[in-house]
Order: sequence, then C-alpha cells, then structure tokens
Amino acid sequence: MPGKIKTQIEFLVALQDLDIMIKEIEEVKELGFEVKGEGLTALMRAREELMLKIKKPLLASYERLRNRYKRAIVPVKDDNCLGCFVRLPTSITSHGRTDKEVLICENCGRILYWLS
Amino acid sequence: MEKVELVPYFNQSLFIPALRAKTKEGALEELIDCFVQARFLRNPAIALEMIHRREQLGSTGIGHGIAIPHGRTTAAPDVMIAFGHSKSGIDWQAIDGRPVYLIFMVLAPPQELNNRYLPVLGRLVEILSDSHLRDKFHTATTFSDFINILKS
Repeated sequence: MPGKIKTQIEFLVALQDLDIMIKEIEEVKELGFEVKGEGLTALMRAREELMLKIKKPLLASYERLRNRYKRAIVPVKDDNCLGCFVRLPTSITSHGRTDKEVLICENCGRILYWLS
Repeated sequence: MEKVELVPYFNQSLFIPALRAKTKEGALEELIDCFVQARFLRNPAIALEMIHRREQLGSTGIGHGIAIPHGRTTAAPDVMIAFGHSKSGIDWQAIDGRPVYLIFMVLAPPQELNNRYLPVLGRLVEILSDSHLRDKFHTATTFSDFINILKS
C-alpha cells in the first residue's frame, strides 16, 4: 500500500496538484460536488504546511516558473520534456525515475516529473 | 457527451468487482494501488496525497451509495477511471449519510489535449443520478457487463 510523500520532488508535485485543485474549486462545485465552507481554508492551510517542507530556493523556483508558464512541473514522456518538447540528455533521464532529485529541463527550466 | 463516450476511460485492469477494503481510507488506497498495478501510475503516494486533500474539501460521496473521488495530478498520464464495488458498503461521510457501494475514482493530468476531465466528471455524476443505471452497476460482476451498461 502507498506510503507518504517524503522527497522534495514529491512535495513540489503535491504543491502543484493542490494549486490546481484550489483553482478548480468552482468548476467542481458546479458539477454538484460538496464543497465545505471551511474546505478552501483547509486547502490553504495544507498549502502552507507543504511550503514549509520545501527548501526555500526550490520553492522560489516553483513560484517563478508558475508565474511564467502556469505549470512549473511538467511530465517527462519517452525522455521528452512535455513543457518544451525537447529531448532530454541521458545524464538527466538516467536518474529521473527515482524521485530522489529535483531535475530541471536544460532548455525551458521547468521542473521535471517522470510519468513512467 | 453520451454515456457510451465514457467507455474509453475505463479499463479492465482498473475494474474491481469486489473491493477488499472496509474503510474509506482503505478503499482509496486499494483503488490507487490498482492504477499502479496497471502501470498507469508510478508513484502512488503522490496521487493518494491529492485524493486525501480533495476529500478535505468536501466528501466525494454524492449520495445513493455512490462516491466519485477525483482530481488532477501531475502524476497521471491521462484521464482514467477506476471502478470498485463494495459489497458490504463503506462509510464515506456521504452527503446523504448512507454507506457507499459503487466507487468511481477519476484521475486526470493537469492539462489534457481536449479538456475532457470536467465533462467526463460531469457526465459521470449525471448518469449516476439515474437509479435504474445505478441498480445495473450493482449487478455487474465482470468488466464486460460493466461496459455493456455504458453502451446500452
């Protein structure tokens, strides 16, 4: 059974997922799902807690990329960055799947997440 | 969107006719694990974190024995739906307070080519408000039975 998130890249991905969720609250509500009055407050609190677990330079990089591209973290598929569609060098692809390091696309600067 | 258009989002390897879990937490983990076993997800912890956060926002138990846990995660390659049937029912803190028997877990990436996630989610809510269809889903013991309900 799945464990808890614990690495920097996992915290960053969780932060991006949370930011997307916060942005889509109204759409989800319109579909008929329950959204508690304190729901948004709970998510904002969760966001602050997550931010505390991320190293400051990484967090600053996440916010900067988010402002520039909307999505700071992009998936990698077939060794391609799906943000700028440039093929990643072997030096990066060889250790991307472990979720132990935060790796950056050398072309666009986005943070990379390996889908498979 | 016709209900038959939901068919491509389901997959035999994401179909659990009898969930082992007896709790909401257990069912969420079992469904996420199903995505991993089917090789649709690599890191279950990330998806589970998102699904837990979503439940904090409000229960995804929409009443009449149905729950639709859902959300976008960077870890998902595509829009996918896993189905799990609990024979004994699970306390989901649903809006009507009743136990949940049919669980549809919808995962989607942050961005998709045709923006299908919200329409898929909306259509799922809509078809599951039909008591006749709900009864049919209760009787589906194979993936083929399940898909035939969507095609009927």
